[in-house]
Order: sequence, then C-alpha cells, then structure tokens
Amino acid sequence: MSSEQELQISPIVQESLMHNSRTLYNLQSLTASLFGISAGILGLESYSGFLFYLVFSLLTAVLFYLVRVAPSSLAAGKSPLDTSRYFRGPFEFWAGGLMNGLAGFILTWTLLYGLVRA
Amino acid sequence: MTFLSRVITAFGGLLLTHACYSAREHTALQSLRAATASSLTSSPTVSSSLPLDIILETLISTLIILVGLVLGTRPLRPIEWRVWAGKIEREGEAGFTDGSGVVDRDYMGNPFSVFESRPNFVDIRKQRKEFAEWVQKGGAEATRYYAGGTQ
Repeated sequence: MSSEQELQISPIVQESLMHNSRTLYNLQSLTASLFGISAGILGLESYSGFLFYLVFSLLTAVLFYLVRVAPSSLAAGKSPLDTSRYFRGPFEFWAGGLMNGLAGFILTWTLLYGLVRA
Repeated sequence: MTFLSRVITAFGGLLLTHACYSAREHTALQSLRAATASSLTSSPTVSSSLPLDIILETLISTLIILVGLVLGTRPLRPIEWRVWAGKIEREGEAGFTDGSGVVDRDYMGNPFSVFESRPNFVDIRKQRKEFAEWVQKGGAEATRYYAGGTQ
C-alpha cells in the first residue's frame, strides 16, 4: 500500500505531531547540555566524549520511551519499542536527539572542561 | 508529577554541583602537588585521572537529573486521527493536561462538535410545538399556583 493511500485511510493530526516533536526536542536540548556538563567534569577528551554523548542520548530515548510512550502504546497493542503511536518514524525518535543536541553538548563540554581543568 | 520531577532534578543538580566542585578541587590539588614534586624530586609522574567517587557521583547525578527531566516532560498526544479523536471522546479535557493537571492551551475539544449542532438540521416546527405545550402546561401550573396563593 502506498503511503499516500495510507494517509488517506488513517489521517494524521498535525498539531499532535508538532506537540510531540517539540516535547522530544526540548528534552533532547536540555539533556544534551546536561551531558556536556558531566563530560566536562569527567574530563573526557575526543572520542570518549562523543561516545559518552552517544550512550547517554540513547539512554534518554529509552527512558523517554519507558515513561511516556510505552504505557499507552503497549496498551494499544503495539509491539515493544514501536513509537508509531506518537511519532512518524523510528529514526526521528531514536536518533534525532544526536543531531539536535550536539551543539549544546559541545558548548557545555568545552566550557566545563575549561572551568575544571584550567 | 511535576513537583516530584522538580525535586528529583534539584537533588541531582545539587549532587552534580558537588561533583563539579570536588573535581575542580582535586585538579587544583594535583597541579599543586605536581608543581612541588617537580621542584623537589625528578619524578613528575602524577596521575591526572579523577578518583572513583567523583566519577561515580557525576554519573549518578547525571542519571538522577535525567530521570527528573524525563518525568517532567509533557504527555504525548496520539498522532493518528482516529486514536486522537477517540481519546478526546473518551477522556475529554482530562486527557490533554500537562503534568500538574492544567489543561493545555491548544486543546480544541471535540473535532466533530460542528456536526453535533447543525442549525440547518434543527426541526423548528417540532421545537415550536414542544414550546407551546410547555407554555400551556407551565401556564396552567402557574395559574394554579397563583390561584392557590391568593386563596
């Protein structure tokens, strides 16, 4: 079935989509700054810092899924780790935070690293 | 929920601040020790890694703040129209509140409310008849009441 036909059969509420994306985006920007602070305190450098960010943003996505998505999504009969009740694609949910928060992460990472180590 | 998440976040922030201060003090102490050691002896091999308790405190406080922030996010809304409209029909305003129970500002109510009050489909004759009956009955009751009152 083509996606246009799918959209005709089960239409999508734009306001809800925007509300969900904004909620996720706010969380991701906030937590990215937080991870920058911890990475700066820990004094991580180069790849280990980015690995830290990768691990913790995936952890954020999992926590957000467990708290906000899973209870109603599983009750509605979706399979585990399926976010299609609230988001259009799985990529946006699981990996969108990596790009959204990277600038904030590097900003606070370098700032705290300089404050602690200098 | 919001209050709980704020308390958790504040507690984690306190721990993180403490970890940051500890790390700062530790590096200052290490650099001082390195300076004195290099002036006294010829072995400036001082490890620059943080002690385990500061690392653990940083990681744990990060996790605590993370949990607090995630608990403080606004509830999501279903994006499929049928699920969303069903939720409105079933829960009404109660399904569209933020964490502390305040209804969202952009809550627009039932999307089909237009169909439930269509002026074109009002049976005006029937309503007029009902009104006339009501007036007759009500008028009779009223006269009986007033008659009873005067007696």
